[in-house]
Amino acid sequence: MPDVENLLDIRRLISDIQHKKLVRSYDIALRTEELLEELISKGQWKSAKELMNLVKTRIQLVRENLPQEATAPNIMRHTLKVIREEYQSASKKKDEGQSLHELVTATPSNVLDYSDSLIDLRSSIVDHLTEYKVELESSSENIAAQALEHIHTNEIILTVGKSKTVEKFLKRAAKDRTFNVIVVEGAPLYDGHTMAASLAKSNIQTTVIADSAVFAMMSRVNKVIIGTHTVLANGGLRAASGIHAVALAAKHYSVPVMVLSHMYKFSPTYVGSPNHEAFNVCVSPAGVIPYATGPILKQIEVYNPVYDYVPPELVTLFISHQGGNSPSYVYRLLSELYHQDDYDL
Amino acid sequence: MDKMKSKASTDGSTKKEKKNKRKQSKDSQDDVKPISNEVSCEDNKNELVDEKNDSTKNDATAQKLSEKELRRLEWEKKLQSQKGDKEVTTISNTKTTQQQKQLSEKELRKLEWEKKLQEQKAGDTANSALSKAELKAKRREQQEAQRQAKLAAEKAKKPPSTTPTKDTAKEVSKVEKKTVPKKETKKIIDLHRVQLVQHLYAEMPQKQDSKLLVYNNIHPAFVKLGSQYLNKTILGSNARTLALMAALKRLIYDIQTPPKQELCRYLENVLQTCTNFLQNCRPFAVSMVNALRNFKLHSTQIDTNLIDSEKKARLQDIIDVYINDDIYKAGDAISLKVNEKISDGDVILIYGCSSLLKKILVDAHKDGKKFKVIVADCRPLLEGKEMLRRLVVAGIKCTYIFLNGASYVMNSVTKVLLGAHALLTNGYVMSRIGTAQIALVAKAYNKPVLVCCETYKFSERVQTDSFVYNEIGDPDLLSKTPGTEDPSPLSKWKENNKLTPLNLLYDVTPPDFVTAVVTEIAILPCTSVPVVLRINAIDTT
Repeated sequence: MPDVENLLDIRRLISDIQHKKLVRSYDIALRTEELLEELISKGQWKSAKELMNLVKTRIQLVRENLPQEATAPNIMRHTLKVIREEYQSASKKKDEGQSLHELVTATPSNVLDYSDSLIDLRSSIVDHLTEYKVELESSSENIAAQALEHIHTNEIILTVGKSKTVEKFLKRAAKDRTFNVIVVEGAPLYDGHTMAASLAKSNIQTTVIADSAVFAMMSRVNKVIIGTHTVLANGGLRAASGIHAVALAAKHYSVPVMVLSHMYKFSPTYVGSPNHEAFNVCVSPAGVIPYATGPILKQIEVYNPVYDYVPPELVTLFISHQGGNSPSYVYRLLSELYHQDDYDL
Repeated sequence: MDKMKSKASTDGSTKKEKKNKRKQSKDSQDDVKPISNEVSCEDNKNELVDEKNDSTKNDATAQKLSEKELRRLEWEKKLQSQKGDKEVTTISNTKTTQQQKQLSEKELRKLEWEKKLQEQKAGDTANSALSKAELKAKRREQQEAQRQAKLAAEKAKKPPSTTPTKDTAKEVSKVEKKTVPKKETKKIIDLHRVQLVQHLYAEMPQKQDSKLLVYNNIHPAFVKLGSQYLNKTILGSNARTLALMAALKRLIYDIQTPPKQELCRYLENVLQTCTNFLQNCRPFAVSMVNALRNFKLHSTQIDTNLIDSEKKARLQDIIDVYINDDIYKAGDAISLKVNEKISDGDVILIYGCSSLLKKILVDAHKDGKKFKVIVADCRPLLEGKEMLRRLVVAGIKCTYIFLNGASYVMNSVTKVLLGAHALLTNGYVMSRIGTAQIALVAKAYNKPVLVCCETYKFSERVQTDSFVYNEIGDPDLLSKTPGTEDPSPLSKWKENNKLTPLNLLYDVTPPDFVTAVVTEIAILPCTSVPVVLRINAIDTT
């Protein structure tokens, strides 16, 4: 089965994510993009339809193995849209639009099936993807460049845990303005410590607090700036556990919550309820209560959830490389990023 | 111990001797303690979590565990060595011949005495008369030594006036204050202070605080209590109050009224010194302030014509009644009230460690209610672990989470029970930091939040934020990460002036997050605090 062999690339990616060789979503995004470039330029496909099927099987594989992983499927989803666009421009056929009128008047003969084999398709898609890769690489720079539009002098900014994007954002702002940052340590990972040490090194006045002090400190905070794992289709977040409480506290004190997010984190998935099984994942409780605690461990249950669902009403603004958007606009961004038919795969 | 008691009341001895007696009685107390102190025995029985947490136990923590005693000695040693380092020129009152030249051998002397007394006891338990004589002899010897030391001190250009006159014992309460030269490192420390809470750092006791060295003539029970507060081995407002009351009883028991003075007046002065000392170890909890105020109020109402032993009995009585009525019985009443609200199948979320909550949950469990408890916890104190241990020992089904997992479990929770440090007049609940967050998340999920609080924790204070009145804990606790071998990137925070860990101890929860407050009087809304305070004020006057 050549198909199975071809899937080796994606299996390796999945295993790397599972084994935490790839942790940052940016690294995952780049790996996925490279994987797709390889697939498109060297893969066994004759028509756009075949290529799309190859990508779709990969998306399905990722979704089966890593239901919480959003970055890799999103990159692939976007690639599907690129393939569609390139096919349309190469074949000079137009996709039936999204308007009701077009849907009603569409005749079966007009429907694009992407089955024609076109000569230039391969190179044009690869070109398009290379462009996309540049966009990916400059994304965090572009987000950081907006820092001065959001941070004024002598502000107190609260952030949670560690996020490369937020770190870059704050450091950029610190070049021109002085402000204080409060870093929530983010138990049980305590990656806030690394974040704080790094910010302090860049001459930002940094205060580290435990997760418990968020509500107490929030009354003096001007802005909450956080990163996220995924942005959901309704504008909600799947973010590190503890962020829900932070967002609630911010809401209570009417502090704006800004979420820095790359475009590949915008996911066309809706979450019915945060208690949906596939939504969250619990990892080893060792971080919460050490195994050395003794026989008491036999008698208790311990949860160490990784994510929190943050409803869209608690988020004030999303900042991506294209600029700021409110949560209510996320659905529109999604339709720009992905093709309607690829939402559910 | 009884022998000592009778002796103490009859003998018109000087302070030195009193001290020895205290030591002796303490020693003997240590011996009998495991039997007399039922509560702690019971708690010790099923030790599961590390010994250290033991000390957070609320029940009769004032009673000494030998381990704690050891810790106190260590602390004293530390103080002693420090004194040596800093060359604090405290002129000690008496000196053993060995340590005549040392300025701060007081602590060492205590240790020495304890050792000696232990030896005596081991040799012959019935030779109290002999030891008494011995002590007298020793005392004379020491007074002689003291006189010599004074002369020596004068020669060394040290103001003799600062030496309290021991023999009359009139100025027992006098505080000897010495200005310690400011350290150069102080400026660096200043940089590591969060602007918002600058004012709180002033009250923050340093582990090696020179402020504590200037106190003399503190009753050993208070010295020990101070170190326990400082090291946070006694935590929780109930435990702290009980420990304070126990120390106070000890003080009343030991106190000797100097001639021409009235016991209660004199006691007031002595107590003032002791509480000043304690305040420097750790600021008082609201419950402690209330308990002390109650004691002072009642002590002024004692008939001055009574003889000392009767007065002492009355004073002890005041304390016993207070502990019994306002703490224990109040706890029972609250437990009854909450139990009515707990039903089968409940999932109860609690936060941190509270002696009252433990009592409530254990009582409900004994009543045969079938419920689950989720213990939420947070660094750096991790008090929840102790709570978890106690509940598991009691046979209650428990789940343990960190605070950030609260949103994850909140959907399955049916009730949230919270303890309180104090209830403020404007209805805000002051409690262990993190409590407000639990209440906030519970509010978001529309879960009822019950705050359990005895009325003796009600305070006239009003506050709307967590900064004006708070305490700052050891920031080093934050820079350590548990469970990993690698040092945290924060571990070198002192080297970077821009980096400051902040460890607040309390936060205030707005009344809109709290469904009701359960007190021994009734289940009330938060806003009823002033009403209760007024009723209590009328009752006491």
